[in-house]
Amino acid sequence: MRLRRLRRLFRTSVFRLTLAYAALFVISVGALSAIVYWSTLGYLERQNNAVIEAEINGLSEQYERSGLTGLADIINERVERDAERRSVYLLADAIGRPLAGNVPYWPTTLDTVTEEWVDFIRRDERGNETPVRGALLRVGPGFRLLVGRDIRELAAIRGVLRSAAMYGITLALGLALVGGLLMALSAQRRLAELNRTTRQIIAGDLNRRAPLTGSNDEHDELASNINAMLDQIENLLSGMRHVADSVAHDLRGPLTRLRNRLEMLAAGAEPSQEDLAECVRQLDQVLATFNALLRIARVESGAYRSAFKPVDLAPIVHDVRELYQATADDRQLRLIGEPEGAVEVFGDRELLAQALTNLLDNAVKYTPTGGTITIRLEQQGDTARLSVADTGPGVPEDDRGRVLQRFTRLDQARSQPGAGLGLALVNAVTMQHHGRLLLGDNQPGLIVTLELPASSPLRVAA
Amino acid sequence: MRILVIEDDKDVASFIRSGLIQAGCNVDNAANGKDGLFLATTEKYDALIIDRMLPGVDGLTVIRTLRASANTTPVLILSALGEVDDRVKGLKAGGDDYLVKPFAFSELLARLEALVRRVKSSGDSPSTVLRAADLEMDLLRRDVRRGGQVIDLQPREFQLLEFLLRHAGQVVTRTMLLEGVWDYHFDPQTNVIDVHISRLRSKIDRGFDRQLLHTVRGVGYRLDT
Repeated sequence: MRLRRLRRLFRTSVFRLTLAYAALFVISVGALSAIVYWSTLGYLERQNNAVIEAEINGLSEQYERSGLTGLADIINERVERDAERRSVYLLADAIGRPLAGNVPYWPTTLDTVTEEWVDFIRRDERGNETPVRGALLRVGPGFRLLVGRDIRELAAIRGVLRSAAMYGITLALGLALVGGLLMALSAQRRLAELNRTTRQIIAGDLNRRAPLTGSNDEHDELASNINAMLDQIENLLSGMRHVADSVAHDLRGPLTRLRNRLEMLAAGAEPSQEDLAECVRQLDQVLATFNALLRIARVESGAYRSAFKPVDLAPIVHDVRELYQATADDRQLRLIGEPEGAVEVFGDRELLAQALTNLLDNAVKYTPTGGTITIRLEQQGDTARLSVADTGPGVPEDDRGRVLQRFTRLDQARSQPGAGLGLALVNAVTMQHHGRLLLGDNQPGLIVTLELPASSPLRVAA
Repeated sequence: MRILVIEDDKDVASFIRSGLIQAGCNVDNAANGKDGLFLATTEKYDALIIDRMLPGVDGLTVIRTLRASANTTPVLILSALGEVDDRVKGLKAGGDDYLVKPFAFSELLARLEALVRRVKSSGDSPSTVLRAADLEMDLLRRDVRRGGQVIDLQPREFQLLEFLLRHAGQVVTRTMLLEGVWDYHFDPQTNVIDVHISRLRSKIDRGFDRQLLHTVRGVGYRLDT
């Protein structure tokens, strides 16, 4: 279990990123240590060499001034003076016998050395070994002078620097790994929470929400965005559920009646043409409801948006009014209102015409004989306003939001044919045109107003 | 009439086929765009009924290909319920009429007959006088007479009668009238068209023995020749 979690952790991008940073960190610390190491040691070595060089120069002058014996004397004198025994001197003849100095015999390792600078190990009388850095100088015929300095301290400093660098790098690596692991773990924990939530939602628990820590960091932002998305999805789903329920409820009636009729026809004698025509008529009604629903769904999906263009509402008002004029006359209703000038909106001519048709359909249906229906089209500023007012029973204020939903039919509408989809379509069309649909009191009656953004500025008559 | 139906839905295809045969048509069927295109280019038909969504080559491509090869056979496009009602695209591709499923067979037949007739009469020189029995419409003088007697019509009634005269002897449906006369392509819920027709009828038939404008029950109207 723990192993699996760890293995999963290794696969996370956060962890891999941390690992990369740890490597970079270690390399930087290593490089820094190397610079300190080389520059410190280099400085000390250069100083050491300078001291040796100065001594060689001094001794070589001495030799030129007072010969081999003078040189031997000064060497012995210097050996006496050097209480710390840091300096190394040796004057030897051609076969390596020492003439003066503090090294008991000529180091055999130096016999083959030809260059000026040498490193060797000095073994003193008590057998202690010390590293020495020195320089060789040939003096006179066959004599050799070795001047050096004990570099024990230098070696010690080198050791200290090396181990400091090793500790530093190890510590940096450890810190980077532990820190990275902790960071990766915390990030992974937050993401795991989100993943758990989304998995639960996938499994069907739509009420789940991602937990917030209140820190307002990017994880919180992601979580709250996901939550907002889920809320939206839930809203849409419940809307769909409502529609599906309504469809089932509303269509069960006519379908049951149709079924009963068909059953009777099947049981009885030869069905008449009229019976069959009635069945077709009832089915047509069901199909009409479906068509209306699909049309609303298509409008809401924005499928018509791509074909939107500037449309003058005036001819639409004229046409639709004229289309309904005969029907209104038949029912002894006054249908008035003729547009005075062009009012342009950005939209779809068919959809706008159908919206107005639906409004007039309602008005004609619900206005009692002798009533008046008024269509008004006007532009105020950058708002186009199209309204249909009737003198029917109106819609109570509490129901005005409800009647815009699919399948809402108020009690007084039950006696009239219809599926309760007319205003839902008008609403969908208005929304797609970025407009507002307002229901008001015409005192008496209903006034429905479509407020749409006008696409051209109001032309003021000169 | 010889009709080719290119439709992949077996039920719809056999529904159209049996209806057309009953109406006295010769019917060929193709279940995909490729076979349909082959038949349409090798045989001679009076009209094609083409579903928009077909396996392989889709309906609009079939129409475009036909039109590109100068085939002018009238085409009625069928579009499935639930598809975006893209009438304009269908007509632009070269279709002559557009019908959304589900449809009543009578609607399909009426539109099909109108299409075939339109193509047949398009060869004649455009006439400025339309006639049906003793009813006469002069398109230049914009007046209507029946039996020599002038009938006074509103502009829209004039357009309505013109449409009926151009389809005289045929059944025209309510949606065909709304499309042809008002240029709208949706179904009004109430029978607003019926009221316009009954007004027109009262003007052209009242006082005459012979009724010219008939209601075809459940389908639409017919103006007798």
